[in-house]
Amino acid sequence: MTARTPRRAAARLAAPAALVGAVALVGLFAFSSGPAQADTTTTTTGPTPTPYGVGSAQPGSVQQTPTAVTAVPSPTAAAAATSPANETGIHYTDLPASFIAPGQALFAANCSSCHGNDARGKTNVAPNLQGLGAGTVDFWVSTGRMPLASTSTQATRKPPRFNRIQTLEIAAWVQSLTPGEGTQVPVVRTSTADLEAGNTLFTLNCAACHTISGAGDALAEGAYAPSLHLATPTQVVEAIRSGPGNMPRFGAGNITNTEARDISAYVTEVLQHPNNSGGVGLGGIGPVGEGFVGLLIGVGILMLVCFWIGDRT
Amino acid sequence: MSDHTSGTGGPPATLDDPHLQPLAKNPKRMEALAALSMLVGMAGFVGFIVVYWVDASNEWEALTLGVGMLGLGVGVIAWGKYLMPQGPFVEERHDFHSTDDERSAFNAAVTGRGGLEVTRRKTLLGIFAVGGGLMTLALLIPGVRSLGPKPAKSEDNQGPTDVSLFTTNWKKGSKLVTVGGRPVQVDDLEVGGVLTVFPQGFEGSSPDQVILIRLAQLGPNDPPYPIAAPGRTEWGVQGYVAYSKLCTHLGCPVGLYQEKTQQLVCPCHQSIFDVNAGCIPQFGPAPRPLPQLPITVDPTGQMRANGSFDQAVGPGFWERP
Amino acid sequence: MIDKSLNWLDDRLGFAKGGRSFLDKIFPDHWSFMLGEIALYSFVVLLGTGVFLSFFYVPSAHEIVYHGSYVPLRGQHVSEAYGSTVGLSFDVRSGLLMRQAHHWAADIFLGAIAVHMARVFFTGAFRKPREFNWIVGVLMLILGILNGFLGYSLPDDLVSGTGIRIAYSITESVPVVGSYLAFFLFGGNFPGSGVIIPRFFIIHVLIIPAILVGLLAAHLGLLVKQKHTQFAGRGKTEKNVVGSPMFPTFIAKTTGFLFMSTGVIFLLGGFAQINAIWQFGQYEPYQISYAVQPDWYMGWLDGAARIMPSWEWVGWGHTIPLEVFLPAAVFPGLIFAILMAWPFIESVHTKDHEYHNLLDRPRDRPKRTAAGAAMLTLLFGVFFASSTDVMANFFQLPLMDVLWFFRFFVPLAPFVAYFLTYKICNEMREAEGIGKRKHALVVERSAEGEYTTTESPVRPGDEHVELDAIPVPTFIDTSDPELATAAGVRRVIR
Repeated sequence: MTARTPRRAAARLAAPAALVGAVALVGLFAFSSGPAQADTTTTTTGPTPTPYGVGSAQPGSVQQTPTAVTAVPSPTAAAAATSPANETGIHYTDLPASFIAPGQALFAANCSSCHGNDARGKTNVAPNLQGLGAGTVDFWVSTGRMPLASTSTQATRKPPRFNRIQTLEIAAWVQSLTPGEGTQVPVVRTSTADLEAGNTLFTLNCAACHTISGAGDALAEGAYAPSLHLATPTQVVEAIRSGPGNMPRFGAGNITNTEARDISAYVTEVLQHPNNSGGVGLGGIGPVGEGFVGLLIGVGILMLVCFWIGDRT
Repeated sequence: MSDHTSGTGGPPATLDDPHLQPLAKNPKRMEALAALSMLVGMAGFVGFIVVYWVDASNEWEALTLGVGMLGLGVGVIAWGKYLMPQGPFVEERHDFHSTDDERSAFNAAVTGRGGLEVTRRKTLLGIFAVGGGLMTLALLIPGVRSLGPKPAKSEDNQGPTDVSLFTTNWKKGSKLVTVGGRPVQVDDLEVGGVLTVFPQGFEGSSPDQVILIRLAQLGPNDPPYPIAAPGRTEWGVQGYVAYSKLCTHLGCPVGLYQEKTQQLVCPCHQSIFDVNAGCIPQFGPAPRPLPQLPITVDPTGQMRANGSFDQAVGPGFWERP
Repeated sequence: MIDKSLNWLDDRLGFAKGGRSFLDKIFPDHWSFMLGEIALYSFVVLLGTGVFLSFFYVPSAHEIVYHGSYVPLRGQHVSEAYGSTVGLSFDVRSGLLMRQAHHWAADIFLGAIAVHMARVFFTGAFRKPREFNWIVGVLMLILGILNGFLGYSLPDDLVSGTGIRIAYSITESVPVVGSYLAFFLFGGNFPGSGVIIPRFFIIHVLIIPAILVGLLAAHLGLLVKQKHTQFAGRGKTEKNVVGSPMFPTFIAKTTGFLFMSTGVIFLLGGFAQINAIWQFGQYEPYQISYAVQPDWYMGWLDGAARIMPSWEWVGWGHTIPLEVFLPAAVFPGLIFAILMAWPFIESVHTKDHEYHNLLDRPRDRPKRTAAGAAMLTLLFGVFFASSTDVMANFFQLPLMDVLWFFRFFVPLAPFVAYFLTYKICNEMREAEGIGKRKHALVVERSAEGEYTTTESPVRPGDEHVELDAIPVPTFIDTSDPELATAAGVRRVIR
């Protein structure tokens, strides 16, 4: 029986068209790439990420502007005053001594139940933090991974519980237990970074776990490499140097400070603002998303057209 | 395509024949809708020309071109479906295979005259058949053999890596360098560090790619890091181990190192190798461990290979013993 | 005027008789008969956009320094193939649109072949006399898959280059001749002497498309000669075809469909990013990305490779890597062999050597439908198995669990699918009034309390009288000017 009027045809097509439309919407939302929300505790001290690449803003492309940058007050000023300007773009700060006491209080109230009052950790509960350095602590706390949501799965990034000063206070106190040891808190200046070098370095060292687009993926033994879409340059360098969890540790003999700066610039300026000139990014995971769209939307819509043109038996 | 309808057809159909009527209840309105659709299509194409002229983004190009195509398409389909004679029409299927007489005549032509030659000129036919086969072979050979070099047949034929699946450029004393050519010193990696290295002079060469991992911070006088594979402890040095980065499954670079679990995971098909035990595959389709490269440190702190691989690297192949 | 021109042509070509029967050719109107046209028209788009791309793409592994608009690549050493593809994407007007439309068209082309093939299979349209057409179709599927793989490998980017490395390893896994084949094809040990990109190019652009066009001509020619099949129904027999005439109705609908297919492909090409190779970088054999899958139509092979246990056979000085050879060569070989031989498998099994021009409802052939469902379950299983890591990440499951799940699902689920489908088909066949529109029952209660049910009256506009089909009229009597209005005669009451 053939649909004798367009109204009839529309009625017949309504259900399958709604199905295709729903799949399309779900697919576009599930796979839409780009930063979901800006990290509100950004610690970038550099300028806003520069748009790069082709032409001016295009319809449909996403131009991200970061939220208000809360500049780190005294540590930077103090560091700038005490250490010479570093052409590599990274220099490591000593946190002010005034941070240590409040840091101890915060640690006692929030962290000592698992890590112990002296941060030595408890077997099978929490690791020993002594010797890891302020930068390591800063990474885990500023990404919200600590305090831990669940002990049975890998720690996930979530909105951090502490603000920037509090985070640094905790880090300062842990550092004070073993002065000079471990990863320091870096101050990263990405304005002079070499994006092309960052691209090459990222591809060789990072893409095998985090994927070439920084989307992250599942690893063995229940672990996973997280997405890099919310990382700040500081967090990138801290992760490179401290090797959190299953991530390898890249010391200065492996990835120099200049190279670490280039990688962090590449992550925050290119990966987090991907050039999606081609349209909707479909999640940045390549053919999986593309296959869904091509089959369900492409072939799906054309099958709907067949439904319209032709008869049912 | 011969259809056995009569040459001139039957009596003429009258215009009020129901089969010639359009499907639409209101043909005039439908025609207007189809025309509107096609006009939208026209606007789309004009829009595309404008968009192209001003070099707007591909979204605009696609929107205009797509609207143009869809507009035209919907209009033409509506015309065909709702406005053209609705039918239905029928045509007969006539046997398109030949009649028995035609078949026997055809078969006779093949077997009769052909059979005559087959019985009379058997030898000639045989010689031609063999000749034709040889001709085919001869013509195919350049298209296959000229394409590339022969692979080396065994480990004895140690040619350059271009023609040998058995050898790499790693020799005893080869300097470990990064892909950029920077020599690797024993202090370069921290515990849990990982680096892709090549023999000096062969940076970037696929069969030579090696992944260097530091499992422990050990000094030159410390006892060596124990590797749980017989005899392999001496193949590492000061907590370092080195393995071929070519996965033994399908040749992907095994670049994914999990520091806590000390496993190498191949990103392609998730084979998992135990770095502590000579990269024995623990899970996944990889059949063999990643070959280990024996390494050592020279007096200047430069890391060097202490020999070549003890087996062919990479995936399996027939000649691999 | 038109008469004169046509006569002039017929003097030279003699097409009038054949031409008329061609124009009168009848195409049945069922919607599922149009799925092959999706494939046909996406192929047309592939050819058109492909020609455009071939004017810009440089099939060479020769190294250059990238100087185009994409900043993170500037100064990098890349192959001309990669550089020209990035250049096409950013520095050629409408280049990115054409590139993406080409890639989307390829995905849709193979998807359409899959649904079209499923339709032909489940309705039994491959039976005598159409076995050849089925085989030609399977050949086109194989060549289409191969050409798609070659095509997306041309840009020499990190993701597709990994696929080429895997293809090399699969080639060398073939017993006895594998290393020779791999060395000949690539010009040596991987990555070879730089010849693989130009060779892929010429196969992708010339050799396979030429064969495909020939097969397509055979496919359509057989369709014209043998005429299309149709579902059983009023007035439809094994000896006729009922539907719309080629000219003008079918040509109008199919041309419109060509435009719509092109439109959908171009809309996708502009709004949905596909294969953003500038984000992947130039292929280097020591670099790799995680979450790398091949395009969807190769996914079934990737999934089979992932779940295969590590069974390598070593003996008498030789190695047969079964963990590669079985899933990547034997498995697809078996599947394609079964597909190609299916018309004969079925006719031998059913002992049915009759002509069939009427189609089956899938439920009327439970065994065939169940076998098809089992095959689809198997293929879907390995297809989804190629994205185990993405699924484990998305659903926050351990990777190993997902892999083990597929190791069991892939071999076992087809049996379950066969059994369930068989049962469902038989249930459907026994159900009363299946497939017909249900009418509401009106329940009335009499004063005494008795309930009666009657069917509701037919909705206005639902009732219609189907016309009996007539042969396409050769001549139309246009002598009554009143009848020959633009709107046509007012509709006959139905």
